[in-house]
Amino acid sequence: MRRALRAGLKYHDFDVRAVGTGEEAVREAAGWRPDVILLDLGLPGMDGFATLRALRPTTRAAVIVVSVMPGEKDKVRALDAGADDYVVKPFGTKELVARIRAVLRRQADVPAGEPIIRSGNLEIDLARRLVSVCGEAVRLTPTEYELLRYLALHAGKPVSHTTLLRQVWGEYAVGDKYNTRYVVAQIRKKLRDDPANPRYIVNEPGVGYRLEA
Amino acid sequence: MGPARRLVGTKMMRRLAPYAVAVGGAIVVTGAIGVVTAAASVSGLSALYLLLVLWLGARWGRGPAVAGSVAAFLLYDFFFVPPVGTFTVRGPAELLELIVLLAVALVTSQLAASQRRAQATAQALAKDSRALYELATAMLRTHEVASALTLVCDSAQRLECVERFAVASGDATQLAGPSLTPDELRQAAWSYENGKAIGVAIKDGVVTAMKTRGAAGNTAYLPLASGIAVMTLSAKHAEEGELRMLAALIGLADLLLDRRRAALEAERARGFEASDRLKAAILSSLSHELKSPIASLRAGLTALTVPQAGLAPEQRELMTDMDRQAARLDRMVTDLLALSRLEAGVELDKEPHSLADVVGGSMRELRSQLGEHEVVIKIPEDLPAVEVDELQAGRVVSNLIENALEWAPASGGIEIGAVALDGRVEAWVENEGPAITTADLEHVFDTFWTRRRTGTGLGLAICKRVVEAHGGSIWAENRRRGPRFTFTLPLARVPATPPVARRATN
Repeated sequence: MRRALRAGLKYHDFDVRAVGTGEEAVREAAGWRPDVILLDLGLPGMDGFATLRALRPTTRAAVIVVSVMPGEKDKVRALDAGADDYVVKPFGTKELVARIRAVLRRQADVPAGEPIIRSGNLEIDLARRLVSVCGEAVRLTPTEYELLRYLALHAGKPVSHTTLLRQVWGEYAVGDKYNTRYVVAQIRKKLRDDPANPRYIVNEPGVGYRLEA
Repeated sequence: MGPARRLVGTKMMRRLAPYAVAVGGAIVVTGAIGVVTAAASVSGLSALYLLLVLWLGARWGRGPAVAGSVAAFLLYDFFFVPPVGTFTVRGPAELLELIVLLAVALVTSQLAASQRRAQATAQALAKDSRALYELATAMLRTHEVASALTLVCDSAQRLECVERFAVASGDATQLAGPSLTPDELRQAAWSYENGKAIGVAIKDGVVTAMKTRGAAGNTAYLPLASGIAVMTLSAKHAEEGELRMLAALIGLADLLLDRRRAALEAERARGFEASDRLKAAILSSLSHELKSPIASLRAGLTALTVPQAGLAPEQRELMTDMDRQAARLDRMVTDLLALSRLEAGVELDKEPHSLADVVGGSMRELRSQLGEHEVVIKIPEDLPAVEVDELQAGRVVSNLIENALEWAPASGGIEIGAVALDGRVEAWVENEGPAITTADLEHVFDTFWTRRRTGTGLGLAICKRVVEAHGGSIWAENRRRGPRFTFTLPLARVPATPPVARRATN
């Protein structure tokens, strides 16, 4: 698997280094400073989550978690522990490359500090707290705005219910997923977004939501 | 033999002692009257006998009192009534004296006796309840049912009417008390299974011994709710208090046996739970084992499909074909595992969800496969929420859409719709493909049944399992446009606005 991935990614002009354990990954990440780390959750020795926690303070690299049939709980745990995305094995090289490009694009966007975030026809002006679709202003309640803002700041990345509840409502609301569902439904209604075929806020089944980048 | 005979001897002594005291008392009183009359001429001293008889009657009852009064009359007649030294009774006055003494003896003893009986009953009751109280406290202190049952057996065997008392479970396993023979255990099992008591019964809270015929011998069997009491009752007459106590003890044994059964059942349930967890663990480890090689295959094959890999176009095409097969294999493994998980009874994580959201998730998942197909979604905006496991419900929708994609003509439309009915939501996926034959309609949801050689025959079977696990139903029918698959899901019971959201929005 490691050899196949290394070969496949090299053909797409990535510079790839592969290691076999979490400890090596932490060391390699500190020295080599990669842009993206693909992290398999099923590691020998130090497990994937421990590696993720060890990686986070020392590297700014985007982390894509790779796992065989992860439970949704594992996905949420990985995202909440700082992963940027997850890919379920088995996958094709093309799909993986697309995901890597997406996190790289996001990574490039962040430092620009752009005060306006766009997703299709949706525009969120963070400085003036204004939301508009096709140039038409949309009035959101403070809670709706906060939720949309948080998704926008992490556009393209799946955000778990837990994180949304903690960031928008506070610690006391964690666990009450009906809140996020209800507010997202309200936002979609105002953005005239069809939940069955959403253009802006996408449902990540069992995990949370993601704003299309 | 020795101690037993001594016991009988003391019992006799105890019974005769009051009579001896009665006669002795009469002699002492006679002596006292003799001494007093010798010193001074005092008449009417015979009333002292009355005192004695009164005391005897109150203390020991009728027998000793009558004996005392007869002895007193004879002694008085002999020593003080002229002619002194003879037992002759002369005149009605003397006879009256005797009658008065006897009457006093009878009346006082009667009164005293009834009082004593009441007192004895009260004492026996107090003793019984104290014994039961102590036993119950001891039982509560022991958490083990077996040792509590032993306490009950010991208490029962301390009763005089009981020679032997043991308790066995319904499957003829001795639980407490003196060892039962295999024959007795067999008999106990029979008695329990048939719910027939042998040689004993409980009537109005009192144990009653019954005559038995045949092999049971003098052993009695009393089936209880979750076990059986086996006992040998003493052949001699038993006091009612003791028999009442025995019935109470049997009641306690009954409670304990019930507790034991409940504990056993709880333990068994825990065992099943553990085996469910084991099954889930095996399935998840199996999925890992099966999927890892497929993951390597796909990673390698897809790596080689790019021109940069330096393969000839023909070879690249071959790689693409192989990858397609590997992906299909992956899909089959996923479906098989999903099906076995559903069959193993994996718990559903049910929550209120909007069906539109679920459909949206499936549409995204299948985006790359939609191709030219036009998908029309007819889900009313105000459709009430459904109570479902989001991932499982998503699997149903995805499988039905995939099935529709497989059958719809190249650019044919697919319709996804839903409508709220009484207490449920009815949703459907319809395509413009060829109608399903009537014979096939019955089988489309069967496991491994497929109309095409490329299908796994699992997708619709999974749909059926998931929908049924949610308490809904699923069916296929031919509509004017083409085949339609309809399923129902339960409505969620949720408030229109969640309280927390309202608070935060203010």
